Amino acid sequence: MPKAKYHNLRIIKELTVAEFKLRYQNSYLGYFWTLLKPLMLFGVIYLVFSVFMRYPVENYPVYLLLGIIIWNFFSEATLIGMNTFLTKRHLITKIYFSRAALVFSSTISSMITLLLNMIIFFVFLAISGVWPGPEALFFVLYLVEIYLIVTGITFVLAVFTVRFHDLQHIWEMLLQIIFWLTPIIYPVTIVPVVYHRLIFLNPLARIIEYSRDIFIRHHIPELSLNVVLAIMAIVIFAAGYAIFRTQKDSIAEKL
Amino acid sequence: MIVTTKQMQPAVEVNSVSKTFILPHETRNTLKENVINVFKKRTYENFRALDDVNISIGKGEFVGIVGKNGSGKSTLLKIIAGIYKPCAGEVKIHGDIAPFLELGIGFQDDLTARENIFINGTLLGLTRAEIKNRFESIVTFSGIGNFLDLKIKNFSSGMRARLAFAIAREADAQIYLCDELLAVGDEQFQEKCMEVFRRWKAEGKTILLVSHNPQIISDFCTRAVLLDHGKIVAEGLPDAVLDQYHQKIKFTPG
Repeated sequence: MPKAKYHNLRIIKELTVAEFKLRYQNSYLGYFWTLLKPLMLFGVIYLVFSVFMRYPVENYPVYLLLGIIIWNFFSEATLIGMNTFLTKRHLITKIYFSRAALVFSSTISSMITLLLNMIIFFVFLAISGVWPGPEALFFVLYLVEIYLIVTGITFVLAVFTVRFHDLQHIWEMLLQIIFWLTPIIYPVTIVPVVYHRLIFLNPLARIIEYSRDIFIRHHIPELSLNVVLAIMAIVIFAAGYAIFRTQKDSIAEKL
Repeated sequence: MIVTTKQMQPAVEVNSVSKTFILPHETRNTLKENVINVFKKRTYENFRALDDVNISIGKGEFVGIVGKNGSGKSTLLKIIAGIYKPCAGEVKIHGDIAPFLELGIGFQDDLTARENIFINGTLLGLTRAEIKNRFESIVTFSGIGNFLDLKIKNFSSGMRARLAFAIAREADAQIYLCDELLAVGDEQFQEKCMEVFRRWKAEGKTILLVSHNPQIISDFCTRAVLLDHGKIVAEGLPDAVLDQYHQKIKFTPG
């Protein structure tokens, strides 16, 4: 039905730009407030664990900030993304265009925020004297993978939120649990070795840990680990999209 | 020997389309409601919105769709536009569709008129370059020149309608679906709408119009269709179909 083959891509682009503007324009400082959240979380945790408890983690501030920034993307992108069909109901019930485009534009908007946060992170790195080496380029791969994971999950959440409006509350609770089960605040070394396999079943834990490897220890994780992570990311995205496709046709009616 | 060329291919083919909505008697929108009521059986009602509808619309035809409220007119347009999927039957479209089921699709209240022109235009199938080229024309037609950078939540409903219509007019499709476009707006706006209809007709566009306004149907349509309870009960020249429509209204209670 839509004309040129780039129609859907153009829509994604326009919606993403509009989405981004909408998210940040109603407050004076806009982006600044969104940045404040992870920074405050970082500040408070750093205070408690580093200054009060004196945690023996190499480069704890950098270690912590990286974890929080990546986590923030995961949590924000899924929470906002899952509501996209509800918030854009006036679009969906009036015109036909790819439903997937809406999900993509939401997660891409969140990705832009992540990239902006990464700039802050690099400034932080520079101040801490922990200069990234050439292996930092590997991080681009991890960015792609976390995008795939987030978008795959958001596809499923968004489609089921149409049916169950309170899914958001349940997801918020789950996010809390996942946050604590992922080594963001604490180093994975304090976890008894017997639990390591379970912890690393979580792709998010891998992404955060491997990213820390790259930036702080200047070390690229071995190939087998990277392959497993890549497979996880692709499977999550593919499964999420497949589930989305089974439900997408009835979205307009349920709104 | 009948030779069908691409010219003769109908623009819109609706083949045996049926659409039934399953309406629950109570809404259970949340997981909580679903869990609490898991043992309480839900009663449903099957609402037959469309029942075995068949219609073929040729290129350049201007078809008016009339019927009482609830007869299935909007549902039919939505299925043709691809918003709903039919339960049975199929729809074949040959050409690009510009759906005007509502004016100002995609309008975001918190963004300016300028920004919304690009969003709305893109949704209607135009590229950024095309929108830029037609920008002047849109601004002139709608008369909102001084308010381009104002958020449209501050626009009057008349201004919104004029802006939406100005963008719609620039859409480059072959098939236009219009649902009660003329219900809003003052006389000046209605006149502009009719001007656009005349232009579209002259350009050989295919138009489907749902309207309660018999004058428009009579003046512009080449053919009309009467829907009642999801079925097509009359089809043919506009005046004849309109007569049947009036009969129906007079003699059917409620």
